[in-house]
This record gives sequence, C-alpha cells and structure tokens, in this order.
Amino acid sequence: MSSEIAAGPVDQPQSAVERLHVAGLHAPADAILSVRDLNVRFNTENGVVHAVRGVDFDLMPGKTLGIVGESGSGKSVTSLAIMGLLPTTAEVTGSVRLKGRELLGLSDKAMCEFRGNELAMVFQDPLSSLTPVYTVGNQIIEALTIHNPAMSKQAKEAHAVELLAMVGIPSPKERLRAFPHEFSGGMRQRVMIAIAIANNPRVLIADEPTTALDVTIQAQVLEVLHTAQEETGAAVVMITHDLGVVAGMADDIMVMYAGRPVETGAVDDIYYNPRMPYTMGLLGAVPRVDVAEKSSLVPIEGMPPNLIHAPTGCSFAPRCPLATDACLEGEPALAPVPGPAAHRAACIKSGSLGGDVDVHDVFAAPPVPVSRFDAIPREERSTVLQLKDVRKHFPLTKGALLKRRIGTVKAVDGLSFDIREGECFSIVGESGSGKTTTLLEIMEFHKDQDGEVVIGGISNKQAADGKTRSAMRRELQMVFQDPTGALDPRFTVYEVLAEPLQNAGMNKADTKKRIMELMKLVGLQPDHVNRFPNQFSGGQRQRIGIARALAVNPKLVVLDEPVSALDVSVQAGVINLLDKLRAELGLSYLLVAHDLSVVRHISNRVAVMYLGKIVEIGEVDRVFDNPRHPYTRALLSAIPVPDPQLERTRERIILQGDLPSPLGTPKGCNFATRCPVFAALPAAKQEKCLTLEPPLEQVAPSPAAQTLAAEPLPAPDQRFACFFPDGEPDEDMLVVHESAGHHAP
Amino acid sequence: MTNLNAVDPAAVAQDAHLESADVVIGKNTIIFRRFMRNKTAVAGLAIFLALTVFSFVGGYFTEWDKQTIDPFNIGMPPSAEHYLGTSQAGIDLYAMTVEGTRISILIGLIVGLVSVLVAAVYGCTMAYFGGKVDKVMLFILEALIMMPALLVVAVATSGGGEGLRRDLPSWLLLIIVLLVFSWMGTARLIRSLSMSLMQRDFVKAAQYMGVPARRIVWRHLVPNIGSLLVLDITRGVTGAILAEVAFSFIGIGIKVPDVSLGVLIGGATSQVQTFPWMFWVPLTVMFLLTGSLAMMNDGLRDAFDPSSSSSGSAKKRTALKARVKGNAS
Repeated sequence: MSSEIAAGPVDQPQSAVERLHVAGLHAPADAILSVRDLNVRFNTENGVVHAVRGVDFDLMPGKTLGIVGESGSGKSVTSLAIMGLLPTTAEVTGSVRLKGRELLGLSDKAMCEFRGNELAMVFQDPLSSLTPVYTVGNQIIEALTIHNPAMSKQAKEAHAVELLAMVGIPSPKERLRAFPHEFSGGMRQRVMIAIAIANNPRVLIADEPTTALDVTIQAQVLEVLHTAQEETGAAVVMITHDLGVVAGMADDIMVMYAGRPVETGAVDDIYYNPRMPYTMGLLGAVPRVDVAEKSSLVPIEGMPPNLIHAPTGCSFAPRCPLATDACLEGEPALAPVPGPAAHRAACIKSGSLGGDVDVHDVFAAPPVPVSRFDAIPREERSTVLQLKDVRKHFPLTKGALLKRRIGTVKAVDGLSFDIREGECFSIVGESGSGKTTTLLEIMEFHKDQDGEVVIGGISNKQAADGKTRSAMRRELQMVFQDPTGALDPRFTVYEVLAEPLQNAGMNKADTKKRIMELMKLVGLQPDHVNRFPNQFSGGQRQRIGIARALAVNPKLVVLDEPVSALDVSVQAGVINLLDKLRAELGLSYLLVAHDLSVVRHISNRVAVMYLGKIVEIGEVDRVFDNPRHPYTRALLSAIPVPDPQLERTRERIILQGDLPSPLGTPKGCNFATRCPVFAALPAAKQEKCLTLEPPLEQVAPSPAAQTLAAEPLPAPDQRFACFFPDGEPDEDMLVVHESAGHHAP
Repeated sequence: MTNLNAVDPAAVAQDAHLESADVVIGKNTIIFRRFMRNKTAVAGLAIFLALTVFSFVGGYFTEWDKQTIDPFNIGMPPSAEHYLGTSQAGIDLYAMTVEGTRISILIGLIVGLVSVLVAAVYGCTMAYFGGKVDKVMLFILEALIMMPALLVVAVATSGGGEGLRRDLPSWLLLIIVLLVFSWMGTARLIRSLSMSLMQRDFVKAAQYMGVPARRIVWRHLVPNIGSLLVLDITRGVTGAILAEVAFSFIGIGIKVPDVSLGVLIGGATSQVQTFPWMFWVPLTVMFLLTGSLAMMNDGLRDAFDPSSSSSGSAKKRTALKARVKGNAS
C-alpha cells in the first residue's frame, strides 16, 4: 500500500519482492488484473518526478473501471506502466498481475506475449496510431499473425472482416484494402478498437479514446467500445478527464490526483455521494448541458502539486477550501468511508462529506455576474457585428498545368446573423461544419469577400484604407484555442500585452499603466509581467491571451474554443472570468465551441451549423430545451451527462456515418444523408427533403401559450431549417443502454 | 459586483507555489546544463577554444615566421630550433601551422556566421511574403544551388578576375566566393521552418492586431528560429573549413604566400614518404578543428532538442540514492 513508501528504513530489511508477494496474496483470486503499489518515477531537469505513487486496484472480468483525473495526475502513466510501454529511463516498481502472472520486470520480448493478446490498448489520437503505408486489413492481420502464427491466411482475412463489421464499418470486405488516410478520425478509432480486440483480450485499456473526436462521433465510438466489450467479455480500463464519458460506461471509478488514487468506489457512490473535496470540485466544475439554471461553476483554485517533492500532508490541501492544520500532517491513506463497502476516500473529513453537502458552498463559487445590458430588451441594444449572406467557396481544381475546376467546396454558404451589445453568441457544430472558416472570414475583413460583414458600423465593403481597418481592429479582438501556441514563447508577458498597445500608438507610461490594469482584470499577479509564457500554467496562459485581446478595449471578442485545451477545474475558472468580464465591461462574445455544455452555460444565443449553413438559431435555452431540427436533437443527445442514472436510462440518437464532404452537397437538405427523421419518413415525404432546400423558419409560439395570452404573442427567438421537425427518429438510430441489461446492478 | 482590482486568489496560490518549488528554470540555463552534461561536447568546445587561442598567440613562441627561409635547415624533421621541422624551402612548419590555423578558423567563422545571417533574412522574407515574391526568390536560390561552385571558385581565384585578385588577399576572395555558395541550403530550411511558424497562433494574433509585416518577421519569426541558427552556425563553420581545405588542396583556393591548412596539406601530399611531418601535422590540426566542431554540434543538438533524453534516467539516480541511504543506515 502507498503508506509503505513513507515507511522508510523500518521496512528496509524486507525485500521488495517479499513485500509485493504478500500484497499479491491479498488480491481477490478472481481478479483479472490486479495492480499493487504501482510507483513510477521519471527524471527531469528539476529532479526526480514521482509520477505515480502507490496505485492499487483490482479489475474483475467483464467490468469497466474508469480512471478520472486532470492532466498530470498520472492516469496515462499508470496505463503505460501496465502495458510496459514506458521508456527505459523510467523507474517502475510495484506489482501488476494479469491472471496471477507478474508483468512488471518482464523483458520487452516477454511482454510482447501479452501485449495485443491478453492486454490491449486503444490510444487517444486515431490519426497517428495507424501506419499510413499499410492497408488497415494488413494492420489487423498483423495483430492476428503475431499471436496466432498457425492461423491460415483465409481464416485471418475472414476474421479481420468480422472484426471490421463488429466495429461498425460499412462494407468491411472492401474497406479491408483501404489505407488509413481513406478513413475519417472516427473510423480510424474504430479500426484501432478492431485491432485491440482482434485477439480477444482479457483487459482492454482505453486511454482517452474519444477526446480527439466530435461529440457525435464520440457517441458512436463509445457505442462501439460497448459492443466490443460485450462481444469479447473483456474488462475495460477507461481513462478520461471527462466525467460524462465514464458516467454511463463504468462500473467502478478511481479518481486520481497528484499520482495517487484519492477516491475509489462504485460509479453511483462517486457521482451521488462524493466523499473527497477534489471529487466534489471536479463534479461541480463541469457545466451541464441539460440544466438551464444559471449558476457559476466551481473553480478549483491553484494547481496540482509538484511531484518532485514528497508531499508532507494531503496533496490536495493547498487547493482545498476545507483544509485545516490536521490535513497537513501526513498524507491520508485511502480509507473506507461509511456506506457501501467498496467506497474509499483519502480524506480525513470524508465522514462529514457526502451527497447532501452543496459543492457551491464548499468551494465558494462566485455569484452570477449581472450585466447592465441584461435588463434592456435585445431589440433596443445596438448591433456590434452583422453578417449578411456571407459565403466562402473554395474552388477544387485538377490538373497540373491547365487547372480545371471540378467542383466547389462550400465551406460557408450564405450565413447571416447579428450580435448585439453585451450578448454572447455561439456557433456550434461538428468539425468541418464551417465554424472556423466563419471566424476567419470575419477576422480577415476583406473588401472582395462574398457577402457583407459589418463590425461596429464599419462595413467590409468600405474598408479600403488602413485607417478604417485599424479602427475595425480596435472593435474586434480574438482569443485563440491553444493558449500555448497563441503566445510567442520568446516574449515576456509585458511584451505580449504591450504589442497591441504600441501598435495603437500608446506612449510608454500609459502602456505600463494599462498593462497593470489588464493583469488585475484577468486575475493575474501584476508583478508577473516579466515572466515568460512557459512559466505559467495553461489556465493562466489563457488569461494572458484574454488580457491581450482586451488591451485595446474592443467591443466584441471572438473566442475560438477558448477552454477546450484546458483541464476541467481550470476551465471553470476561465469560464467564470469570461462571464464576469462580459458583465462588467459590457463585452459581446462570438464563441465557437464544440462543447455544448460550455455553450449552454455561457451564451445567450446559439447557432447550430451543418455543412456551411445554419440549421437552427435562437435563444440558447429555447434551442437546447426544445430543439426542432433533427441535427440539433442528435447533437444534444450525443453529449454524455455526468449523471450515471440518467446516462444509463436515457434514449440516445446515434447518427450514422461521418460528416459528408462539403464537396458534393445534396440538392435538397444537406442533412438528409444522416438524418434520423429522414430515415423513418415515407418515400413521398423523403422526396421533398431530397429536392427542396428547407429555409430557416420561425418557430410558432406553442398553442398552449397562445390560448392563454389575450393578444397574439411575439414569435419566440428560434428559427430552424427542416420540413419535418416533428418526425419520429428511426428506431435503428436510437440506443438505450439499460435495455441491454449490461449495467443493471 | 466583484471588485475589479482584486487579485485572483488562484493566481496568488499558484504564484506561491511556483516560487517555493523552484519549478521555473530559465530556458538558457536548461540548454547550458544539458550541453555541459554531454562530456564529448564540452571536450569539443575546449579543443576548439584551445586551437583558436593557439592560432593567435602561437606565433610568439617562435622567432620564425611563415616567410623567413632558414637556409641551414631545409627539409629538416622536428628539432629544438624548429618545433615541427621545416619545409622543402626551409620555412618553419610551426609558424606556418599557426598562420594556417588562423586563416582556416577565420574563414570558417566568417563564412559560417554571415551565410547563416543571409540565409535567415532571405528565408524569413520568402516565407512571410509568399506568393510571387517567394517564387522569384526561390528561383534565384535554386539557380545558385545548381551553379557549379567548383568552377566559379577556380575561375575567380586563378583564371579570370585579375583586378579582384590584385586588390584582395586570396583568403578574402575565397571567403566571398564561399559565402555566395553556402547559404542556400540553410535558407531553404529556414523558409520551411518559418512557414510553419507563420501558421502558429501568435503570428496570426499579431496580424489580427494589425502589426506590420516587417515587425512580425523581426520580432516573432527570427527569434523563434534562434536555436536552429546556432546549430547552423557551427555546422556552417565546419563546412567552410572543409571547403577551404578542399579547394586549397586542389590548388584553387588560398594562394601562396598566404598559408592555410589546405595549402599545407595539398603541398605535402606528394612528399608523404620523404617529409611525413609536413603532411601529418596540418592534417592532425584540421582533424582536431573539424572534429571538435562536430562534437560540439552533437551536444548543442541534444541541448536544444526538447525531446532528447538528455535529462537521464530515473533508475540510476534513485538506485544511487538508495545505496547512499543503505550505507548510512
């Protein structure tokens, strides 16, 4: 157990092997994988980092263990240590037993017997985990050949086809001969899963398998993992930072912090009855897509401890609002808490915490900020940005010398919307739907753009000279997705923030004053201005990026996925900051995000884009609570909710296939090829979808509301583009997990 | 409403954390440490520095110089009077080696530094402007690459260019010719590197702020390819020294009365049997010179490369610590 690390010289005479042998005996005999006292150390410039400190768990056959934690908590290192994939420079101690056989200390060659056979892994990035020069068939057959040398060629091929069919790849026989680049990201991840389950593994480790994918594709891949587990009966270790993803899948959860498990237990206990403040904070930091009520998120302040120094007290104490002096005396061991037997937490106060304690009180979430614009009706506020029928078409040409135009990619196709003062407008959609192109079109601000962009009363049609352009630049600033990439690594914070100010012609003294103001505004220590970006954490870097955008006092800030690169707890802090700034400075935001929960939390209005067109637009609560377009419905249903009960029982629409290429968009409705409603329609009605393009229509007020009101109600702020919004989705695309009985207690 | 001037407690906590845990190590410190950890590279640096010092002060240790003929010692092996012997013409080899090393290092350093500078400016300009500018500049670059450098050197230093040769010492002429033909490869590398930098968000951010192009190239692009430039300088120095030796060896580089390592080696090849010291001494010096640079370059690459395993293994250190602890208890 982990307490033995600190035990020191007393245990010295007892050899590590003996100690582990004793520990191994405690493991339940039927566990397929049991890990005891796993420790991993790395060497860095600053000293030896103790990345994993005493991880213990037992995995029962056919069960799913979810390992959750922030980046740097040691989740991935644990999985790599089990697989024996850590670099030789790392020191791994402890015991990993697969069906009673010790895996640690085996040579690379001996490990190969297990890897891909009884132990298999699915990696995070599907784009780089397949070899580009071999066909996927080759790569699946390779996995089969290594562990079944006696298998005949035909048998292997037949099995490969079976596997591809199992992970839901259409026409598997033909696709066997396709190369990885001919597959989309989601499809490649399916192939990775097929390779992983090729030899009927007993344990399948999935390391953030859906983090790099779109929500709709994530839902598909999670579904495939689910089937794969059912087919092979493998135990799954699911590593993720997204509490929603594991809520519906896992049987047990292990929350890791600073290289140690801080809370373990059955999934329901962890979600409904957390006993460790860190777990509570994590749950409170995630915005919920299914909740309309506006409340601030819970930020966990500070950052994870430095694992170079052995912690003397509870490693979470510096960030814990409940910490007392007692917390600083010795690291608490993982101890059982009152309630279910398997539920354990590493907190001396676990007895007094539980489901009935409100996390907002514990973590002192800031009050919901109120903007001065909130009271003014939207129609009376002035417009800061207006797009009128903006199009961006890329010609697709063929031929080296004489370029023939063979088609057009309609990245953005006739977009119109406006943003009023003090409001946050979001654009959501899968990748490839044209969100980023829209942003670039706005930022480029060219005269010869197709369509009109009006920023603060300045139209792009008259932006000929540099003066108008720089006036426009002062109205509009941008915050980038990747806070690290957006800051020049060679600039100090002062230089980063001074650049826009100098450019606007501000003198030195004023620049200095303004920079100090900005630092305070975004919640950074003013005397940090002389530091370089690499000396800050991800959340702080994003704050610097926000400060830079605010430097010239813009009216509108364009946010391109501002929190998607951040950890959950840090993300909450940045979202709260954005909310506060919007209210206090009267800013407007144009937000592009794929995380609908974040969108729901922060925005006032939302537009759903599909293949360059807006399919539904309106007030955020109306669109999310009462989605009319089938695509919006599918998007919303694809988002996992951090609520195990709900997640297991709710009905989900799983879209078939990927986003079609915008090259050959159909004549009628763009969405018809994947539409769940379309699939269930009679042929006569399908004809209409295929030939006519649905216009954006106003939603009529509900009949009930109309009868109640004396005079005709104003139309609600919601428009959508679909002929059959009330159509029932196709049965095949609906999935309910509970019916499978897999997760029944 | 919350107070705008309140400092975020999260930031304060993080700050305290950063300060107490000394996690912040300057990048230069890290690079220096990593370089120093590579023993070969440090040895290379020491040899190179020693040779440079030798080439400047070595002349004071002997009364002979590269022109004075000693009629009593013609073609003599090393002796107390002539440390490294004399040539066929009776000139002191030690004096010639000192002079030759200096000229070779001079050529190497000037060509290495200036060609990288030219390449950096040229490459960044190509990458930033792109389009037509890029096409024309790339065409010039390709044309220069395809030009037979050997012939041009031969013509410039021996055949034509009478006026040039009268006005300039032969080593300066060689430097100019070498410069013209040495920067293209690096420029192309820098072009592609800057093109990928152009895609980075901080360049986009500067553009969206309306920062003018010249400022972006100078403030954002050039500093960010700094580590590549340092590596390329050492590589360029080696290349220039080798080129000088090669050209002088075949008789089209440095001309007598100027001496360089190449001239010495080239002149002695026919007499390896009779005057072996005339051949082996300059050859050894050349090996030391280029070899030390190569050793240094390897260490620099390790130091600059963030993915290198230069920080070492955790196993060795903890094992060592455990042993120390075991001994103590």
